[in-house]
Amino acid sequence: MKYRLECVDAGSEYCPCYLAETNNCITCSHLQGKQFCDCEWRGTCIYQEYVNNGYQKTYQREDIPVQVEKRESIGSNCMMLKIKVSKTLARQLKEPGAYVFLRGTDLPHYFDVPMSIMEADDSNGYIYISYQTLGAKTKKLDEDRSEFLLRGPYWNGLYGLKSLKKVSEDNCLVIARGIAQAPAILVIKKLIKNRNKVIFVVDKGVVGEIFIEDLIDGLDIRIIEEDVQSENGKFLIKNILRNEDIGLVYSGGSDVLHASVINMIDQVGVNPNIVITNNNEICCGEGICGGCTIRLSNGVRAKTCKTQLEARKVIERRVFDD
Amino acid sequence: MTKVVIIGGGWAGCAAAISAKKAGAEVTLIERTDLLIGLGNVGGIMRNNGRYTATEENIALGAPELFDVTDSCARHKNIEFPGHKHATLYDVTQVEPTVRRLLKDKGINILFESRAIDIIKEDKKIKGIVLSDKSVIYGDVFIETTGSTGPMGNCLKYGNGCSMCILRCPSFGPRISISKRAGVEDILGKRGDESYGAFSGSCKLNKDSLSAEIVEKLNKEGVAVLRIPEEDINLGKLDIKVCQQYALKEFAENIVLLDTGHAKLMAPFYPLEKLRKIKGLENARYEDPYAGGKANSVRYLSIAPRNNSMKVRGVDNLLCAGEKSGLFVGHTEAIATGTLAGHNSVRLSLGVPLLELPRNLAIGDIIAFANEQIITEEGLKKRYTFAGSEFFQRMKSTGLYITDKEEIKRKISRVNLLGIYNEKLI
Repeated sequence: MKYRLECVDAGSEYCPCYLAETNNCITCSHLQGKQFCDCEWRGTCIYQEYVNNGYQKTYQREDIPVQVEKRESIGSNCMMLKIKVSKTLARQLKEPGAYVFLRGTDLPHYFDVPMSIMEADDSNGYIYISYQTLGAKTKKLDEDRSEFLLRGPYWNGLYGLKSLKKVSEDNCLVIARGIAQAPAILVIKKLIKNRNKVIFVVDKGVVGEIFIEDLIDGLDIRIIEEDVQSENGKFLIKNILRNEDIGLVYSGGSDVLHASVINMIDQVGVNPNIVITNNNEICCGEGICGGCTIRLSNGVRAKTCKTQLEARKVIERRVFDD
Repeated sequence: MTKVVIIGGGWAGCAAAISAKKAGAEVTLIERTDLLIGLGNVGGIMRNNGRYTATEENIALGAPELFDVTDSCARHKNIEFPGHKHATLYDVTQVEPTVRRLLKDKGINILFESRAIDIIKEDKKIKGIVLSDKSVIYGDVFIETTGSTGPMGNCLKYGNGCSMCILRCPSFGPRISISKRAGVEDILGKRGDESYGAFSGSCKLNKDSLSAEIVEKLNKEGVAVLRIPEEDINLGKLDIKVCQQYALKEFAENIVLLDTGHAKLMAPFYPLEKLRKIKGLENARYEDPYAGGKANSVRYLSIAPRNNSMKVRGVDNLLCAGEKSGLFVGHTEAIATGTLAGHNSVRLSLGVPLLELPRNLAIGDIIAFANEQIITEEGLKKRYTFAGSEFFQRMKSTGLYITDKEEIKRKISRVNLLGIYNEKLI
């Protein structure tokens, strides 16, 4: 069985992109230089769009200056930002897996750092972002700036978006650890909107704080706080998997967490859809730089900034030092 | 029990489903859209020229079912139009529901809105067909009748873009070549100018948009021939058509309309502005494809290499029929090849020799002749149909063209194949 790749941008207003112009399209076989149609259908023909657009890419995302309305220190070494954006952009970013690039206005483009959207307020035009200060890029975000350059929207922050958007009236288990609490909010809200029952197992992780309490306050979900990597945590998760007829599991955290969750699912012997956070180092977000490329076990190379992949396929190739 | 899985619910797939069922298989038919008979929903021409012979042959071989439907849903019988005799025009609005009921009554399991996207294969055997929702349909023998038309990208690259035809790829998703997935390279048809593929040969006009005079003529006689203004005659257009039996000078100098429920316009596409210059067509609009003023679907981009028993070369348990099996044009050709493929699917599962129709039958000859021609450069530019062009000439010169039903029956009885498709093999 051949594995065809699916670009998260296919069919969006940003498709076709530069990759179409260079015959490196992730999805369209014609735009890979092949002779005939053979794509992972997204309800629209990329080639048709490309030709109708005069054999050119369509309008692409640009850096836009945005104002920081609020900056709040949370937990250990973490920061929460409230940023003013257009209502349109807020709406585009109000999707699980959405992310943007941020950098200081005075910094060169290689300071662009990808940031998951924690929450988007599309009626007033705000987005909320939480991050952990780790390397050069995030340290530069920490400087007391009131303005950033923002590039977006991007959507491939999660693998398994199709199952996440499709699941309805089912039981879902959402697991989030550390800074990955942030992208879990949009996931939980999406699941509730589709009338799912959500069990949320949240773990402070190295952040040392549950910083999303305000955002999930009042939501009709079951919340359990636990160290998910501890024996107790594993016992709890396995029990939920065994007894709650779970149709979808979301794992937000490191690849070590993903591997452990998949392992538990297999041990219990259930078969829910799996959604995980995309932890690859995202650099340009456009499939150009190659920094996020991974190689799957079947030899296929995938640019993870744009390509939707199956969670198991992503994780099976990762090697961990326990 | 042998499980036969057919991919594609066009005429060929429906015919294969019926004959496989009659031979004793459990049959599942996978269809991408919400309609059976595919391009048969906008076609309608039966029994013209050599198709009459082929139809009666298939009936005598034991597979009358689908021809009974097209005959019973006829709007006009035994009509003539330029280059064509004794045609039957079926009502395109009647046939599909009738075929659907027929297949359901026969106990054929039809999966609508189910798009095959991949296969599961072990060595040279297909185990199952993967659908777009990732579910898998397993089977013992598979018959590919996915045709060779579209999808959108191909219609654009080799034609004038998606014209919104009855296949409705934007809604139901693209056709996938199953044989190619199984590692067998597709063969591609060519046009006279060496480019790949060919346009579908006709469009349908909404009858209510035509003048009362033309509508009356169509209803009464089934045919209306209208003269094209001198300045708009374009003989070069004939080369791009798939239906070479209609690529005659008369079709370039005239507009030929046939009554199939809609007014079938015998041209791949025709600019609306020019069309409306013709008397009686001042208000004309297209019914299928919606963009018939500009484009039509592009076909013959995906043909599987096969033997004369319809088995695909290089895969142990895959057969093919219809346009997938050669540069064939027409419903009759699809039904005849589909019926044989369905029957042979059961033979293949039993390990008994596959049926090959003798070349003194029109059906046997077209299957073998198209196979001989497709390996030549010139042969790739031709189309094979009982209704005209090279093969009908061949039928006439070799005496295969017979219109006496009894004689056809006697001939089939002489080769000991009378009612062969009715035999239950398991």
